[in-house]
Amino acid sequence: MGSPCHFALFDLQPSFRLDLDQLAVRYRELARAIHPDRFADASEREQRLALEQSASLNQAYSTLKSAPQRARYLLTLRGPELPLEVTVQDPEFLLQQMQWREELEDLQDSADLAGVAVFKRRLKSAEQVLGDEFAECWDEPAQREQAERLMRRMQFLDKLSHEVRQLEERLDD
Amino acid sequence: MALLQIAEPGQSPQPHQRRLAVGIDLGTTNSLVAAMRSGLCEPIADEQGQVILPSAVRYHVDHIEVGALAKAEASRDPLNTVLSVKRLMGRGLADVKQLGDQLPYRFVEGESHMPFIATAQGPKSPVEVSADILKVLRQRAETALGGELVGAVITVPAYFDDSQRQATKDAARLAGLTVLRLLNEPTAAAVAYGLDQHAEGVVAIYDLGGGTFDISILRLTGGVFEVLATGGDSALGGDDFDHAIAGWIVEQAGLSADLDPGEQRRLLQAACDAKEQLSSAGVAQLVYGEWQGALSRAQFDALIEPMLARSLKACRRATRDAGIELDEVEAVVMVGGSTRVPRVRQAVAELFGREPLTDIDPDQVVAIGAAIQADALAGNKRADGEELLLLDVIPLSLGLETMGGLMEKVIPRNTTIPVARAQEFTTYKDGQSAMMIHVLQGERELISDCRSLARFELRGIPPMVAGAAKIRVTFQVDADGLLSVSARELASGVESSIQVKPSYGLTDGEIARMLQDSFQNASDDKVQRVLREQQVDAQRLLEAVEAALEADGQRLLDDEERLAIAAQMEQLRELMAGSDGLAIEQQTKRLTQVTDAFAARRLDATVKAALAGRSLNEIEE
Repeated sequence: MGSPCHFALFDLQPSFRLDLDQLAVRYRELARAIHPDRFADASEREQRLALEQSASLNQAYSTLKSAPQRARYLLTLRGPELPLEVTVQDPEFLLQQMQWREELEDLQDSADLAGVAVFKRRLKSAEQVLGDEFAECWDEPAQREQAERLMRRMQFLDKLSHEVRQLEERLDD
Repeated sequence: MALLQIAEPGQSPQPHQRRLAVGIDLGTTNSLVAAMRSGLCEPIADEQGQVILPSAVRYHVDHIEVGALAKAEASRDPLNTVLSVKRLMGRGLADVKQLGDQLPYRFVEGESHMPFIATAQGPKSPVEVSADILKVLRQRAETALGGELVGAVITVPAYFDDSQRQATKDAARLAGLTVLRLLNEPTAAAVAYGLDQHAEGVVAIYDLGGGTFDISILRLTGGVFEVLATGGDSALGGDDFDHAIAGWIVEQAGLSADLDPGEQRRLLQAACDAKEQLSSAGVAQLVYGEWQGALSRAQFDALIEPMLARSLKACRRATRDAGIELDEVEAVVMVGGSTRVPRVRQAVAELFGREPLTDIDPDQVVAIGAAIQADALAGNKRADGEELLLLDVIPLSLGLETMGGLMEKVIPRNTTIPVARAQEFTTYKDGQSAMMIHVLQGERELISDCRSLARFELRGIPPMVAGAAKIRVTFQVDADGLLSVSARELASGVESSIQVKPSYGLTDGEIARMLQDSFQNASDDKVQRVLREQQVDAQRLLEAVEAALEADGQRLLDDEERLAIAAQMEQLRELMAGSDGLAIEQQTKRLTQVTDAFAARRLDATVKAALAGRSLNEIEE
């Protein structure tokens, strides 16, 4: 839609390693400037523009602050549009995925809240490792395939974290 | 010669030249109006010095009575006196009937699907009744402030859905008020608290009113109020505490449960009085008719325990949605009259591991916060470095109906507004020229469990093969939390859009139930969802094979092959009627296998035709 690059909007260079606190500070500065509240007594056209610009700012911020979404966005900046769902050939990771899923099911069966907390911490550190690896290779054209694989692993972890949260809801009943 | 005084740009030289704007808390039980005066934000009192206006409207033949007098006469004239009208806002007649026998009104159907209440002044919609309350507050403000209002910020519960917000905005318009913003009640409270205490960091607002419960988690940073997550349980408020006590009285006194409306209102009043006594006393003395009794605080605490547990669960959920732990909440602010109940305060303190703040008047804090924002929105600049910015979220996910009666989320709950999100969809059948866009709100996966907000049709899609058209549906939610939807076919540019303005809205109970069910039934949903997907896949394949047979069956297949395919199709149709997902999936695969060769032959024929310089369209015709 011809919108400017999310990173440029925040006056940042495209990079996976981001200072999230700094991003938040810039987000608040920008939001202050263009939020529709600032234009409550402006013309209808200005109000509409403020609404549109705020919406794209919010979109950019939510993309950049999430590691898997940021990774995906970086890859689309450097290459073709990526399909959302693909069958991934990643046998090594597949095994890991199955182990995690089994563990999650066991945690559900045993209603083990302490176990869930430990599991969450492990997912978090796995995310960290993937992020570090991705940061090293995403900008190397020769390693594009590896970068895509890492990004999809990050997406899987993100989905799994979501499932952990749903499990926590159920255990809370 | 005196020097000319020049004010800073945007700053009024004199305080009385400020543009007049108010904040209004339009509550279930009570309403208030507040405004900024000489640098102080305060509620505005009526001529008798009363700040609180009971949200009660009584319709006489020749005049309308709003407030304490109307409330006092409610049991004598129940049919013409409307209480708690907020519960009816943005609802359909069917929704209202679900609320049951607690409502003593006579409803009549109007032009829209809205419920109208038959009164001495004819049928009144909830929007009109709310407008009558707002008119009184507007007059009170204009008299006190000495001028016409530029506009008002009106508060709504954070969990209010699109139609309830729209209904509130309509009521303001009827009352002659310009709505500067609809503001979520907990966010308004956070503003008042944050500015008063110069607070920074993560704050939880626990807002338990007469009929509603909201929990919001915010991050306060240098005048920016960023809502991280919000949640609620709408079937939960002080009224429910009264009902619990009333039930206890009925039991103790051995009364029959079906009381007439007048008796019921008196019973609830007795229960409410007891509840209020128990905020300071250890035992409440009760008198109802012949019966006398005593209710201890411990007994009362036990009565409300299940309700309290529900509110605490919503708190934990909102905290998780905010991506933080309970102990990261740095302050808990109590809002709403029902937080005066000692057991409520105690339970909240235990949950968050810190004493909740109760020093701001829980009845007034919402109106005060709204007034602060109204003043800023009216164009009265705050001093440098004191500008406010409120970043709120949508309380419930928004999405569309997709194949198989499933809800596809386009904007998940707790997304910061304003927001615009687009999602692309495609046609299901060859030559499909129209598409029904069905907009939904809720957390569940099946559309029958979500709230239908609106339906509209995108027409004039140029004929294409199934899956070739690209329809982009864009959802936009503005700073009031109001949704508009547009749809566009990308190749042809055909466009259709609507401001979502439905004639009914989600019932509070439905929203709460939807949210709760979505967590309880997450696993059931998954099974159902998988089955639906398998059925849709099967149906899609059947239709594709049928179309292919019709086009090329005679030309490319022999009798034996045609019979084999027909047999597999028949079997798949039979299985689809059942609920054995695995069998459907396997049979779908089998049909795919027997039609594989046919598909390859068709593709070959297409390729040959293309090489011969003919387009696909010509072959199909």
